[in-house]
Amino acid sequence: MPYAFVRGRAFRDIVIVLVLVFGVGSIAMLLAHVSPLVAFGALFDGAFGTREEVAETLVQATNLLFPALGIAVAFRAGLFNIGAEGQLILGGFAAGWLGAQLPLPWYLAIPMVLVAGALAGGVWGAIPGFLRARFGANEVIATLMLNVVAVLLATYLVNGPLALPGSGASETPSLPHAAQLPDLVADSRLTWAFPIALGLAFVLRWMLQRTVFGYELRAAGDAPEAAKRAGIDLRRTAFVAMALSGAIAGLGGATIVAGELHRFNTGLSPGYGFIAIAVALVGNLDPLWIIVASLAFGVLQSGGIAMQAEAGVPRDVVALVTGLVIIALAGRRVVAARRST
Amino acid sequence: MNPVLAGILAVLGLTLVKATPLIYAALGGVLSERSGVVNIGLEGIMIAGAFTAVVVSGLSGSPLVGALAGVLAGAGVAALLAFAATRLGVDQIVAGTGLNIAALAAAAFGLVLIYHQPGASREVPAFGHAGENMLILLAFLAAAALHVVLTRTPWGLHVRACGEDPSAAEAAGIDALRTRFTAVVIGGAIAALGGVYLSLAELDLYSDGMTAGRGFIALAAVIFGRWTPFGATGAALFFGFFAALQYSLQRAGVPSELMQALPYLAALVALAGFAGRVRAPAADGVPYVRQ
Repeated sequence: MPYAFVRGRAFRDIVIVLVLVFGVGSIAMLLAHVSPLVAFGALFDGAFGTREEVAETLVQATNLLFPALGIAVAFRAGLFNIGAEGQLILGGFAAGWLGAQLPLPWYLAIPMVLVAGALAGGVWGAIPGFLRARFGANEVIATLMLNVVAVLLATYLVNGPLALPGSGASETPSLPHAAQLPDLVADSRLTWAFPIALGLAFVLRWMLQRTVFGYELRAAGDAPEAAKRAGIDLRRTAFVAMALSGAIAGLGGATIVAGELHRFNTGLSPGYGFIAIAVALVGNLDPLWIIVASLAFGVLQSGGIAMQAEAGVPRDVVALVTGLVIIALAGRRVVAARRST
Repeated sequence: MNPVLAGILAVLGLTLVKATPLIYAALGGVLSERSGVVNIGLEGIMIAGAFTAVVVSGLSGSPLVGALAGVLAGAGVAALLAFAATRLGVDQIVAGTGLNIAALAAAAFGLVLIYHQPGASREVPAFGHAGENMLILLAFLAAAALHVVLTRTPWGLHVRACGEDPSAAEAAGIDALRTRFTAVVIGGAIAALGGVYLSLAELDLYSDGMTAGRGFIALAAVIFGRWTPFGATGAALFFGFFAALQYSLQRAGVPSELMQALPYLAALVALAGFAGRVRAPAADGVPYVRQ
C-alpha cells in the first residue's frame, strides 16, 4: 500500500493549472459566444482595474487563505479535512454571536471575537479528529457530514435559542465598532485580516519545518508506520492536527464576520472552504506557496463577478475551473488513504 | 376514508417519493465502494443525470430518451472519476469533491447557455405519475438485482474481492483495475437515475441546487446501511421517512434543522461504531497500484 504523501512538483502543477484556467476558461467563453480576450480582459480588469478592485481581490484571497492553511495542516498530517466550510461557518457564528454583545474596548473585543471563532472551528475540527483517534472513523466522511450539520446548527442557533434582540432572519445584530477589524484600505472591505493571514502562513511554515510538533505531524502524514515505530502517538497527532486545522478555518470565519460583514449571516461563505481545497493543493500544501495560490484564486473570485457583468460570461466558469483543478491535482498525488492508527 | 389512516398513507407515499432518489444514489455508492472506490462524487453524478435528462428530453420530446441520456451522463462523469481513481492512483476523495464542484458549476453554466436564464430550465416533457411510480418500483428492483449480482454472480464476487484486497484479487487472476472501473461506471449510471427521478419524475425541469445534498445523504445511507444494497435501501427509506415527516413535525415544534441533520448524525454514529459493528470494505478508498 502506498503510504507516502508524494507531493507534486510545483512547476508541473502550475502548468496544469494554467492550462486548465486558460484552456477550459477559453472554451467556456467561446461557448458563451464571447471572445476569450474580452472575457479575460474583463476578469483581470475587474480584479486589478482600480484601487478598490485590487483591495477586493485581496479580500477574496484572505477569505481563501485561512481555510486553505487549515486544510494544509490536516493534509500534511495525512488527514483529509474536507470540513473547512463547516468549521469556517461555525467560527463565523461564534464570532458574530459573541461580538454583537461585547461592551468592551477594541483591544479586548477584537482578540476575543477572533479567539471565539478559532475555538468554535477548533471544536468542529476536533470532533472528527476524536472520532478518528478513538474509533478509527474515516475523517473524510465525518467532515463531509459535519459540513452540512454545521450550516444547520448555525441556522438553528441564530434563529432559535441563541437569537439576539435586534437580529434579522438568519443573522446576528451588527457588531459594535470596537469589535470590528480596522480597515486597511479606506472604502474597501480589506482589513487587518489580510496581514493576520499572511503572518499565520509564516508561523505555520515555521511550525511545520522547525518544531517537534510539526515534525511529528509531517511524519504521521508521510510515513505513519515509521512514525508509529519511532514512538509518535498517531492518535494524539490526528486529534491535535484536526483541531488545529478547524481552528484556523474558524479564525477565517471570524475575520469575515469581524472584518467584512460586521455581523454573522448563514450565507457568509460562497464555498470558501471547498475552493480552499484547490488553493491548498495548488499551493503544494506549503504555507508560503499557499499565499501565492490564494492570490491567484482571489483574482478569479473577484474578477469573475466583473467577467459576468462586463462580458456576459456566467461566473460559474470560475467554479467549473476550480473543480477541475482539484480533480487534476488530486490526480497527481498518491496519498495514504488508511493510516494505521 | 378514516382521516388518520389517510394521513398515515400520505406520509408513507411521501416517504417513497423522498426515498427513491436516495435509494438510487445509495445503490450506486454501494457498488462503487464494494469495489474499493469511495464515491464522494454521487452528488455531482446526480446533478449530471438530472441536468442532461432535462436537456435531452426537451430536445427530443421524449422523457424516456432524456432519462437514458441522463443515465449515460452519470456513467460518463463516473468514468472520469473511475479513470482518475484506477489509472492515475489519485486520491478519490479529493477528486470526488472537485467533481461535485465542477458538475454543479457546469450545470449552472449550461442553463445560461441553453435556456438563456440562470436558476432553472424551462419545463420539458416529463414522466408524470405513472412513470414516477415505475421509477419508484424500479428502485426496489434495482436493490434486489444489485444484491443478487453482488452475492450470487462471479462478477459480484470479483467486485467484493477488489474492495477487500485488490492484490489478492489480482493474484487470483482478476483484473482489479478493470473491475473497479466497471463497478464505478455502472454505479454512476444507477446513481444518475436518482437525479433523473428528481428532474423528470418529481418535477419537469432542472433548477440549480435541486439535488440539495442528496448525494451526501446517500453516502450516509451507504454507511448506515453497512455497504449492502438492502441495508442502504432501508437507510434511504428511514431518511426519506423523516424527510416526509419533516413538515408535520415542524408544526409539532421539532426544529426542521434537527430533522434535516438526522441522516448526517446517524451516519456519524454508525461511523463511530455506536450502532453495532460496522465495517467498510477493507480496501475501500485505497488506490490500488500494480507492483
